[in-house]
Amino acid sequence: MAKLLREQSSEVSKTDSSHFNKVIGEIKPAGEQRLQNTAKRTDSWSLDLVAIGARQDREAFARFFQHFAPLIKGYFLNHQGMMMSSTQADELVQEVMLKVWTKASKYKPEKSAASTWVFTMARNTRIDMLRRQSRHNTEVLETEDIWATEEEESPVARLQMQREQKLVREAMVDLPPEQAQIVQIIYLQGKTHTVAAEELNLPLGTVKSRLRLALAKMKIQITQSADEADLLT
Amino acid sequence: MIKYHPNINTLTEYASGSLDTAAAIAVSAHMHFCHQCRKQTQDLQLLGGTMLDNNIAVADIDSSVLHSLMQKIDAVDTKVETKVQPAGHKQVTDASLAGLPPVVAKMIGNRNKLKWKRLTKSLQIAPLTTGQSRAEVSLHKISAGGKVMQHDHRGQEYTLILKGSFSDESGVYQPGDFLLKQPGDIHSPYAAANRDCICLTVVEAPVRFTSLLGKLLNPFLRLSPA
Ligand SMILES: [Zn+2]
Repeated sequence: MAKLLREQSSEVSKTDSSHFNKVIGEIKPAGEQRLQNTAKRTDSWSLDLVAIGARQDREAFARFFQHFAPLIKGYFLNHQGMMMSSTQADELVQEVMLKVWTKASKYKPEKSAASTWVFTMARNTRIDMLRRQSRHNTEVLETEDIWATEEEESPVARLQMQREQKLVREAMVDLPPEQAQIVQIIYLQGKTHTVAAEELNLPLGTVKSRLRLALAKMKIQITQSADEADLLT
Repeated sequence: MIKYHPNINTLTEYASGSLDTAAAIAVSAHMHFCHQCRKQTQDLQLLGGTMLDNNIAVADIDSSVLHSLMQKIDAVDTKVETKVQPAGHKQVTDASLAGLPPVVAKMIGNRNKLKWKRLTKSLQIAPLTTGQSRAEVSLHKISAGGKVMQHDHRGQEYTLILKGSFSDESGVYQPGDFLLKQPGDIHSPYAAANRDCICLTVVEAPVRFTSLLGKLLNPFLRLSPA
């Protein structure tokens, strides 16, 4: 335990005001700008999604595509296990956007942000692709049988959801670089804690505790107490 | 009341999509019982959406990609999905499967297809088909009042209690409780006296009995993944 505490406190001391984006290397100067734009427009993406679902609104779909397709393509190209060409990534983007088109009527704006919903679609498409690559029989259990994209039935008040989203976005910018790095690797590169630890040459417990610290900073409510055994395994 | 949950790191791997398929089956089955973990996962997916939306590794996409997508959409005359239940939530027809997580009910398919193998007087195992081969997924049934001889775990083992309850040296486990045993963990579970205990078990390497009799029985535990 003492060791863990030491690790945590040394992380705190390293908490300078480094920007989240500094961690990742190839930064587009527009990064921060993008952050602010999406903050303002978050709501309009769910309106577009509703319009697509309710009346197959093609203009809304084109707007939605222009915003999310490059992000989704980046998400696919970034993944460790999928060395793919730009054309293959385009095909996967089409697969995701086709799901957006056909499933938009199921989207419930009071339950999740448009970006969350699209993320689950892109994530499942990536899982599908990896399962096919490793020759899983994906007919016995479809990816959506295991990774449901349906939201919790009890509606989170819309305002509360927007507040949470804002909080996460703001806290993300201020994460210490070593925590931002772990969140980045786990979410965008799709790596497990174990793989992240190997690549960064860090103890597994350190990677796990950095993630937990990051989640705590983003006020992602952690409902279970972490015991030491959890962190060290 | 569920007392044992997947830890936050496991839930994060589930939400970000890197968790091994077999382990994800156990986590998703747990969430059928657990509101708390469903909410937690929702928050973790919100983070995923935020990460995606602020993905600085954007990749240029040619406008022809949208055009050809619209052509595809026109060509198949896509029927917009109505609000039907997703495949995983199909009504379970077999009454004895009622109350089970949809993903488990789907793997079982038809109760009569389960092939129970008796390993010891109190333990039976029925393998489940999952379409992957990295881990063995099966149902374990401990007869009412039965005790499973002491065994250890060579790989990670996830257990989700589906019906009944069992106890071991460290606690009592009820439906919905989620346990993760690490390699080297030893325990000897026993079921409650009044009813059979049925668990979903995901094991990365077969369990090993630590007693002599258990060692003799061990070969039977090598279920072939299906
Ligand atoms: Zn739970």
